[in-house]
Amino acid sequence: MSTTTPILLELAVGRLVDDVGRGPDAPLVTSLTDAVRIAQVAEAAGVAGLRLLDAAPGFAVLDPTVVVSFLAGGTSALGYLADVPTTHHAPYNLARRILSIDRATGGRAGLVLRPGEGDEVTIAVVPDPSARDPRQRWCEYAEILRRLWDSFPAEALVGDQHSAIFVRDELIRPAGFDGRFYRVSGPLDGPSSVQGRPVQVAAVTDAAEIACVVGHADAVVVDVAAAPLADAALTAELERVERTRAEVALLGRIQVPPAVDADWLYGRVATQSLDGLVLTVNGSTHELLALIENTVSRLVAPRPTGTLREALGLSPVAVRTADQRESVA
Amino acid sequence: MSRELHLNVNILNAGVFGGSWRFPGTDATASYTIDHYTEIAKKAEAAQLDAIFLADGPVLDPQVRHRPGNNLEPTTVLARIAAQTERIGLIGTLSSSYNDPVELARRVADLDYVSGGRVGWNVVTTAGPVAARNFGRDGEPDHALRYRRAADFVEQVVATWAERTEHASPQGRPVVVQAGGSSDGRRLASRVGEVIFSADQDLEHARAFRDEIRAGAADFGRRPEDVVVLPGLSTVVGSTEAEARQRRELLDEVLPDAYARGRLAGQLGFSLDGLDDDAPIPAELLVEPDEAGGSQTFYRMVKGIIDRENPTLRQLLKKLSGGGGHRIVVGTPEQIADDIERWFLAGAADGFNVMPDVLPSGFDHFVEQVVPELRRRGLFRHEYAGTTLRDHLGLGGPDVPQGVWDRAPLEAAR
Repeated sequence: MSTTTPILLELAVGRLVDDVGRGPDAPLVTSLTDAVRIAQVAEAAGVAGLRLLDAAPGFAVLDPTVVVSFLAGGTSALGYLADVPTTHHAPYNLARRILSIDRATGGRAGLVLRPGEGDEVTIAVVPDPSARDPRQRWCEYAEILRRLWDSFPAEALVGDQHSAIFVRDELIRPAGFDGRFYRVSGPLDGPSSVQGRPVQVAAVTDAAEIACVVGHADAVVVDVAAAPLADAALTAELERVERTRAEVALLGRIQVPPAVDADWLYGRVATQSLDGLVLTVNGSTHELLALIENTVSRLVAPRPTGTLREALGLSPVAVRTADQRESVA
Repeated sequence: MSRELHLNVNILNAGVFGGSWRFPGTDATASYTIDHYTEIAKKAEAAQLDAIFLADGPVLDPQVRHRPGNNLEPTTVLARIAAQTERIGLIGTLSSSYNDPVELARRVADLDYVSGGRVGWNVVTTAGPVAARNFGRDGEPDHALRYRRAADFVEQVVATWAERTEHASPQGRPVVVQAGGSSDGRRLASRVGEVIFSADQDLEHARAFRDEIRAGAADFGRRPEDVVVLPGLSTVVGSTEAEARQRRELLDEVLPDAYARGRLAGQLGFSLDGLDDDAPIPAELLVEPDEAGGSQTFYRMVKGIIDRENPTLRQLLKKLSGGGGHRIVVGTPEQIADDIERWFLAGAADGFNVMPDVLPSGFDHFVEQVVPELRRRGLFRHEYAGTTLRDHLGLGGPDVPQGVWDRAPLEAAR
């Protein structure tokens, strides 16, 4: 019994500051030391990636982009997703940082952008001061990321010592985004990664959110119970923007009891229309490690190779030209 | 104890010269890979340097057609290096103009924590309309406004660090590095800077600059020895004088002409089109440095060369060699050590932010030949005395909570 369905693990790295009591849906929060161990064990077991959260109730959580960069310094095949809210992050800075991680990891990085407020730099010059809705902000932001990540194609970097052309800048195109929440010119300062661009993941709760990100997301995370409805909504919305279902992975987030066995997990994979699972363990680090070694490792093929996009079963990136962009926007 | 020399390496992508990426034997695009940075950092640690330094700006340099730019975001690079090294200091440039202070404070402090207390934040203001357009603006704020913002920004960030109780690092909080040479920048340096990355061609001027910063720090109630002044120093090392000169000439030969002109035009703030290569730049085009809108440090540097030497445009381009204006030393390891020793003993510098001509080869020459010579003279450490960047720099710091830090993550990541 095994599956090619990719499995990701969700956790945060931090320290307890206020014992608010563990809710039933609380994520696992580990120390940095334990996270290093988890990354190594997960990689050896064939886990597709770790999802690092930005916050957890009662905990001081370390910046997931710092944690991901640090952990990736000690692994070579594991993928990483960083959760980052719009709040306090100007899109240009976040796009750059995630692309840097993606390039450093050989195309194994992605971002779970979370809805939120604006950032101090942008607030001073927000194009439409009446624009407030976090969800609408989130939709705009997702599009900006995609445009920035497509702005500097890898093939533009030539380094031709003979002709003294370092970058073929005629291949670079500005993002040229002019919206209600943001105006971002671009382009980014670095070329696209080997996986085309970082994997953009949207954690959604309803069809309206799917509609909002469907033009830009590479993967959608939903609660596993909502997967069938989400699948239908996703299929319909993708058709609307002329994208295929193969371009977006549907990931089911599932709260796993620590002692779960492989049959149970396999059942979840097999009975749902899911392209992957995001496991969150309501337990200890020790229990998570046991779950990886005893259960997950039996379920998935060992050590993923290649990019995160490949691990999620996604087709290669088709970068759209500026003209095609207009028709989607 | 006698003063100790401090050395950082500025991993300025392929090297400080405009033609570095075309230098024979150089992998042209290596500086667009992460290994370029991690490998140099490991060599810097093996040579017991104080820190690596990463310059940065949130923008694609319009000159990228003809030379590499900084292209990986520093905190992500430094976090990776932290996982693969133990002692080397990690200094990253982050713009005060275009970051949110709440976010930056958290990210840099978290980086300091995961690195075991090795991080420095180089505070810069970001000049230019191209960067401004990445953040919803049509043009840059004026120079004085940028610096007022920078001062408030640093104050807010440092206050956040001082209040932080979770994830404290062994050095208490990150080191504040500051790089502006303008009058606005010097005030900021005296007030909050712990390491000053300066740009100076002239020893007397550099000594006066260091004196001014130290006196300014005292005026703000700080100890002068808690400010470490490190001028940028571009190095061209040869086994013989002739070999060094030859390397320097080769760097001129491989310099893309279009780049050199574009860069100088950017520094001066006007186009060079139509100017005679064999005549000096007309004096009426040159405003006073405090009136220059962009980077005043480099405008001041270039204008200083023009005022002192009255070079033709062609001579000026050759002198700068697309390197931007930091002082260039060309010579044998002994000659370069002589220069470093002279500046250090004269009180013109506490050490240097070394900017090798070509990376990685120029840095290899520096650590293999110049560093041992400095050690022979008793100027540079043989072993790290501590583990944090503050330890390396001999900087005081806030009291550190005991017992909250453990090194296990670093060990486990190795």
